[in-house]
Amino acid sequence: MNTKNKVLIVFILVSLVQLFIPAKMIFDREDVLATGKEFKFRTQPIDPNDPFRGKFVSLQFSENSILIQNQIDWLNNETVFVLLTISNDGFAKIQSVSKIKPLETVDFVKAKVDYIQNSDSTWLFIEYPFTRFYMEENKAPMAEIVYNETVLDTNISTYGLVSIKDGEAVLKDVLINETSIQEIVKKRNSSSNQ
Amino acid sequence: MSILKDIAELVKSEIISRETAEKIENYYKQKGGQSQSRLFVIFGILGAILVGLGVLLIIAHNWDELPKGWKTFFAFLPLIAGQALCFFTLTTKADSIALREGAAAFLFFAVGGSISIVAQIYNISGDLSGFLLTWMILCLPLIYLMQSSVTSLLYLVGITYYAGETSYWTYPSSESYYYWLLLLLALPHYYSLYKRNPESNFMIFHNWLFPLSVTITLGTVAKSNEELLFVAYMSLFGLFYLVGNSVFFQNQKSRSNGYLTLGALGTISILLALSFDWFWEKLQKGNLFFNLVITSPEFIASSILTLLAVLVFIRQGKRKLFDVSKPMDYAFLLFVIIFIIGMHFYIAGFLVNLLVLTIGVLTIRRGAKENHLGILNYGLLIMMTLSVCKFFDSDLSFVTRGLLFVTAGIGFFVANYRMLKRRKEHEY
Repeated sequence: MNTKNKVLIVFILVSLVQLFIPAKMIFDREDVLATGKEFKFRTQPIDPNDPFRGKFVSLQFSENSILIQNQIDWLNNETVFVLLTISNDGFAKIQSVSKIKPLETVDFVKAKVDYIQNSDSTWLFIEYPFTRFYMEENKAPMAEIVYNETVLDTNISTYGLVSIKDGEAVLKDVLINETSIQEIVKKRNSSSNQ
Repeated sequence: MSILKDIAELVKSEIISRETAEKIENYYKQKGGQSQSRLFVIFGILGAILVGLGVLLIIAHNWDELPKGWKTFFAFLPLIAGQALCFFTLTTKADSIALREGAAAFLFFAVGGSISIVAQIYNISGDLSGFLLTWMILCLPLIYLMQSSVTSLLYLVGITYYAGETSYWTYPSSESYYYWLLLLLALPHYYSLYKRNPESNFMIFHNWLFPLSVTITLGTVAKSNEELLFVAYMSLFGLFYLVGNSVFFQNQKSRSNGYLTLGALGTISILLALSFDWFWEKLQKGNLFFNLVITSPEFIASSILTLLAVLVFIRQGKRKLFDVSKPMDYAFLLFVIIFIIGMHFYIAGFLVNLLVLTIGVLTIRRGAKENHLGILNYGLLIMMTLSVCKFFDSDLSFVTRGLLFVTAGIGFFVANYRMLKRRKEHEY
């Protein structure tokens, strides 16, 4: 086989890997969306920027910490498995955290230790893998306005709808009182244009 | 070309023969063709980079209204188009530099774009550094398959961005040791460029970007003994300076010699920064314990770089013998000794000042000896900057500082005046 053919074969292999990575990302997420279980995470959104992936609403979740016994057992940035249940008001609630992957029969999500807070008691704060909700660039500022209005009103609930399967999670939507933030922003934008 | 206009006249006056005239005309025709093809390469690459960046920005808009299927289609469209273009180039036009570089540059951005769109569709949070790492790994083979120097340069920028994002700009920061592996993997292309096209523009860009990338990223190894990084940086700049003075670079213009410029500026900047006592006081209070320090990444980085610089120093020293009058060549070694002294005694600040002063004086002397205004004024600049630094050093009395300034100012005038006068005398 001459050099040119070898280069072509390697190029085709590299091309396949380049195609495989995004395809695998799509396939994995589609699987979670299709067969995963839905959880509602209470949120507090804001509006930052990523140079390559554009504007997004950054989500911080109310249910993001758990009481732990011993600080030295945990490291910042370490991967943990967060076992979840649904509370009486219908939102996701942390049951426990574990370093070992739980059985598939329970609901859990793979996350990271954000930091440990040590005051009277020791709290472990979790960084979930679904903190970004990407939005069209001209809608993101309006999303921030909508959020600023809703955050003052305790009767309004804002939450992220997350599909979870076998530790993997996909953020489906951000909802404000059961309406998608996309819909609210769209309505606001069209009424402000009129 | 004005010479072509004169040829007819020269032939008419029988100064050159018709044959010579034809040869001259052919020479300029060929030269013109070469510069045209070079322009074609430059515009091809610029075009591909602009289109690629444009595609990235259009993607970053986040097209909410598009259904998921269409978004997925657009994720793969530029990727497949780029791959097809590269495949076409490899099979039919492998000799065309413009097409090879352009196609590879476009594919480079298309890979980043496609991962971006998928991340948007599924709200994948993965931080920027993870995204950059995936992107760069997927594009690394293109450097070799397409023999693309543009991709190599973009890749160097990308891995530097990755290291900075991971270790400088993200809180809490983490280590970016992958950078060093990724950098090593780009070296064979740089080497082949050095072998095949040592004078090319691509080589010049590499000669700047490579040392710049290492300079930016070396700081990311800092953990808890960051004072030691000054040794690492001094040895790195010493190494750059020696490489910049190697036989290969000696015949090249200074604008092609990123190593020499970065090495010289870096060495002097660090020495000036450490000419103040605050650093040395902190170093002594810092209590660096040998047994704890020896396993730290800062110590390992410092040792490797110092060792490398010493090896290059010995190798170059063998060829032209040890030259005391060029203190920049071995300033990094003196600094290691000063640093060790500084861990125990307060004299280190003074020694650094002495070192800068010596470098300044010997550089001025060399400039005068070689009748080189550039070197002379570089030496004077070192002295001036040292004076400015001392202007703010409250440990010295006003009179001492004043005298230092007056001396530096007079020295500046006298040295330049004498050299210019000598030059004039030579001219007559």
